[in-house]
Amino acid sequence: MSQRTERRGIHVDQSDLLCKKGCGYYGNAAWQGLCSKCWREEYQRVRQKQIQDDWALAEKLQREEEAAYASSHGAQAQSHSQTAVPQLHPGHASLGAFSKFEEKKTNEKTRKVTTVKKFFSPSSRTPPKKDTQEGRTPSPSISRHASFETDQVSKEFVEFLKNLQKPGREIHKQCRAFIMNMSSKKELSADELSECVQDFYQNMADRLMSHFKGSSESVERVMDQVEKYIMTRLYKSVFCPESTDDERKDLATQKRIRALHWVTIQMLCVSMDEEIPEVSEDVVKAITDIIEMDSKRVPRDKLGCITRCSKHIFSAIRITRNEPASADDFLPALIYIVLKANPPRLQSNIQYITRFCNPSRLMTGEDGYYFTNLCCAVAFIEKLDAQSLNLSPEEFQRYMSGQASPRLHSSEGDWPQSGVTAANPVLAQLNHNLERLSLVSSRQQMLMEAAQSMQADLLSWPEGVQREVSGVLEKYPLQILPRTVSAMDANNADSDGPPPLLTAQVFAG
Amino acid sequence: MSALRVDAKVVMLGKESVGKTSLVERYVHHRFLVGPYQNTIGAAFVAKSIQLGDKVITLGIWDTAGSERYEAMSRIYYRGARAAIVCYDLTDSGSFQRARFWVKELQNCEEHCKIYLCGTKTDLVVEDRSLRKMKVRTVSLLQSALLTCRCTVGNEKNEASYFVPAEETGINLGQKKDSYFYSCCHNN
Repeated sequence: MSQRTERRGIHVDQSDLLCKKGCGYYGNAAWQGLCSKCWREEYQRVRQKQIQDDWALAEKLQREEEAAYASSHGAQAQSHSQTAVPQLHPGHASLGAFSKFEEKKTNEKTRKVTTVKKFFSPSSRTPPKKDTQEGRTPSPSISRHASFETDQVSKEFVEFLKNLQKPGREIHKQCRAFIMNMSSKKELSADELSECVQDFYQNMADRLMSHFKGSSESVERVMDQVEKYIMTRLYKSVFCPESTDDERKDLATQKRIRALHWVTIQMLCVSMDEEIPEVSEDVVKAITDIIEMDSKRVPRDKLGCITRCSKHIFSAIRITRNEPASADDFLPALIYIVLKANPPRLQSNIQYITRFCNPSRLMTGEDGYYFTNLCCAVAFIEKLDAQSLNLSPEEFQRYMSGQASPRLHSSEGDWPQSGVTAANPVLAQLNHNLERLSLVSSRQQMLMEAAQSMQADLLSWPEGVQREVSGVLEKYPLQILPRTVSAMDANNADSDGPPPLLTAQVFAG
Repeated sequence: MSALRVDAKVVMLGKESVGKTSLVERYVHHRFLVGPYQNTIGAAFVAKSIQLGDKVITLGIWDTAGSERYEAMSRIYYRGARAAIVCYDLTDSGSFQRARFWVKELQNCEEHCKIYLCGTKTDLVVEDRSLRKMKVRTVSLLQSALLTCRCTVGNEKNEASYFVPAEETGINLGQKKDSYFYSCCHNN
């Protein structure tokens, strides 16, 4: 398995992706290479077997126990050959209680199976990382984490509704009822689920509209919170549901994007120059944002990621071209970003947003615009052919089959690329940064030296002053002073009266 | 109560570089830009509120990529649009062919979408035969478009050419005419 995941990182061919059972659907590493359906069957079977084994073991134990009990009561001299096992349980344990205990244990097991199943059905988040753990037992920390998240959202929601007082309670009740209602409708198809949620939004919005007397801003605020609350709670059961082929589409898109790794920025006519540091920084941020989309639960948060990604793209284009981007520049750039990022579960995310986002946001707002562009980008990537890249069909075939690489080709061609730096702008950036760092460090060294010499100067300065002062003192010895003073003293002594004058009655009076 | 918000989606359609973006820029920011400017990061989506009687309507104006390679996707863009402004360059007959394509598409797919036809760059027009031909064809397209206009490019002459309103009812027409009066002095 580890070998397989290793290979996954680099390249995956068709046979690796398909379900191991050969049913024709795509498999998933998290499900040990099986598709969701086969995995469920397999898992169920293994679990069932385990339960049966457990029963068998329990029965065996019980029998041995009985035998041991009987033997302890009977002829004590008679010792069994298999004493090791009965000794685990002292002979006089109550048999009834024990069998009950076993029953409870199996009950617990079956319950565990269902929770495990629940875990797998809404396709666990970020599967590649967790698959090794989850393949065997669900890590309790994950479930706790999930419930922590929902708890957090519930708390926030309640907190938010408190400000609304009475209608807040009403809204909370409605939402709870709706979630309960939804969780009982597991067998519905994705579109029906979507309809339920959209109806709920519509009803809620209408009611809020009449309550807030048409202030659409307050309604929007509450609706955002409602959406956040119910979609966080429902996420697991409605994201990429088994009833749809979202998962298959995800894998198909992922594979498609991988196959198109050779598409260059020039082929798409993107007006972004990644050699400019700010631009490449924006590109990296855009890629991060679009990848982050998969980790969000609320449709609005997912849209937020798309919008942030788009803003970075706009900024990259503006820096390159020195003028604001129009849609003619933006769409190719977005396609390029999607190709570079290969965002996880792209189709599932798009479907999820389409089904469960508040429709007013999706159809008219800015988020909706960027989302539509993303849909276009994905549609373009799916249909992409030689013509759409201005290539000849032969060239396109060669690139797709990996026989030729436009990068190598271009270095002989007329594109202004030179050696390693052109092939890898990141490396060039790194070198550039290293140069700068060394420059900075040498400057700092110089600064330190200057500071040290200044410190030395400062230390020696008082000494110098002292020396100078003492020099002066030596030059003009103090002996001169006493002579003049004595002369004055002599004068004073002559007059003989100053001390009484100083204490004159002027002060006293 | 008076400020009931109605959000209307308006899509700009037209071949590359016919001046869609400039039209929007002009309408929203009242400017035509020759050189670089900094305060907007992109002009692909803009929201503009306009007052119409006692209503304030927020228009969401969607710019679209006009390149032929994205033609297949344009349907995704105009889904649910209340109005579409189909632009063509008066100096480029190819762009007119594309405009025809979009008008047909819109008529087939979005029956509730009002179509406005807009010829751009009138100031670059040198009257010649091909243009006259185009005019004739414009008339035939008029049946489907609610309103057509031609806009000038670049200079401040504001040659607000002619409007041919085919129908004069409804909010959409009003708001569009408004936009036209602004944008009729336009650039590419």
